[in-house]
Amino acid sequence: MRTRLSIAVLLAWMTPNAAPALEFVEGKLQVHGFASQAILKSTDNYYFGNSPGTSFDFTEIGLNASYQSTPSLLFSGQLLVRRAGEMYDGTPSLDYGLVDFAPVSDTERRLGVRLGRIKNPFGLYNETRDVPFTRPSIFLPQVIYYDKIRNGLLSYDGIMFYGDRYLEQGNLSLNLGVGQSVIDDNVEWAYLADDVDGEIQAEGINWGIGSLWFSTPADEIKLGLSAIVTELDFNAGQETPLQSGTIDVTDWVVSFQYNAEDWTISAEYSRAPTRWNDIGPYWPFKDQVMEGYYLQGAYRLRPNLEIMARYEEGFANRNDRDGRGFSDLTGGTTPRFDFFSKILTTGLRWDINPNIMFRLEFQRHDGTYALSIRENPDSGDLVREWDVFAASISVRF
Amino acid sequence: MISRRSVRNILESLVGVALCCVSLHACPQELIAHRDAGVESLTRNEARLFFTMRLKNWPNGTLVKVFVLPDNNALHNRFSNEILGLYPYQLRRVWDRQIFSGTGQAPTTVSSEQEMLDRIATTPGAIGYADGPIDDSSIRLLEVR
Repeated sequence: MRTRLSIAVLLAWMTPNAAPALEFVEGKLQVHGFASQAILKSTDNYYFGNSPGTSFDFTEIGLNASYQSTPSLLFSGQLLVRRAGEMYDGTPSLDYGLVDFAPVSDTERRLGVRLGRIKNPFGLYNETRDVPFTRPSIFLPQVIYYDKIRNGLLSYDGIMFYGDRYLEQGNLSLNLGVGQSVIDDNVEWAYLADDVDGEIQAEGINWGIGSLWFSTPADEIKLGLSAIVTELDFNAGQETPLQSGTIDVTDWVVSFQYNAEDWTISAEYSRAPTRWNDIGPYWPFKDQVMEGYYLQGAYRLRPNLEIMARYEEGFANRNDRDGRGFSDLTGGTTPRFDFFSKILTTGLRWDINPNIMFRLEFQRHDGTYALSIRENPDSGDLVREWDVFAASISVRF
Repeated sequence: MISRRSVRNILESLVGVALCCVSLHACPQELIAHRDAGVESLTRNEARLFFTMRLKNWPNGTLVKVFVLPDNNALHNRFSNEILGLYPYQLRRVWDRQIFSGTGQAPTTVSSEQEMLDRIATTPGAIGYADGPIDDSSIRLLEVR
């Protein structure tokens, strides 16, 4: 564990002051990458590993290449290695791999299409959620960007049409896409609470996304509306009392950001109506409307030194915000506070140089809804009020 | 011993520096491009489209190659703020979103102003910026309207 931290510190130390990206073929081929290691300590509950005992199990490494073969044709792909407690074990995965063709591009508009594994432009942060330099804090607001079900938002295999319109008053951007979701075990844990016998699958085209963005010409104000519609198939195995059925999830978020020289204010509000169909009488939930929102401010004391604060609230069901109804459905085995999270975050970001970043963060949690059930399988062990301290070091080129 | 004349010279140059930085136009930073770019001037919005890497071709169809100095370079900061009207952290955010989502690329970062001039002069389709007068027939100054 400690070796990993030492390697991260050593890497940071060795990175020259301004490491340029690798470029080949007259700059048409670019290679970029990043690596990050965090250390966490929580008062209670498992959060990105054995955090009560100090966890080093939050590691992110990415390596990408892009080739701009002509002004209208781009090929790109990224490999991601991510270790996040019990949720991700560091097995390399294809984060995205796509071809982007933009036949129309001038000073007034751009129209194009992407084909392949595409990151979902959901909210302010989803597209680059695993790149520490692009996040507002070590942990994204968990009530919208759930790490316990990252793949419910992250990316899809399919096609996306996009259009940008550049006006005097600002820029409009529209993305529309369809395809198949990328499923993993965490999705099963999040929607069926246990590693049940059977499989959650995507059959045919089961995923649609749309997002619309407006920003003023110099990006002072940014407004967005993004949505995902998806249907997952559950094929029950022999050993489970559950029956085969489907799970429908719609997830939408409205986004706001204001950028000034020293300040950035961000706020988002999200709802995710979820419905379980035909799973059978042994599954207690029929439908719910997940809800999450936050308000976040960042202040740059110097161009390379930033402090931030955020308050967020999230609920498993907005019609049952104190968790009473859902807790009763489980016969009281799952406590009420497992159906909401109210989180206060403060943090510091120091960009030692353009390629090395150091972060410190503190979170005070009321409730355990943000936690992965996979990391905390026994609801009897959950503690309602808990704190997290975290630090991270990240390098990039 | 400091002569009265040198004191006057120092004072004059101090005043000159102060005046230069008070007036935006006197600060001689320029938008520059390879001579074959085929345009004489850009609007601020067009310059932003080039430097945020959203517009990848010149009107004549050539691929645009953008060169910048590091994020913490003083000239980069002045160019970003005064010519583009964007804070440097916003440029970085746009580039990072593109390179780490596979939807675009980032400019090429050069390590010095001299390297910037060399690369602009020798790379067809290149665009960048410079501080002070340019004496190179391969480089074209672009007016920002």
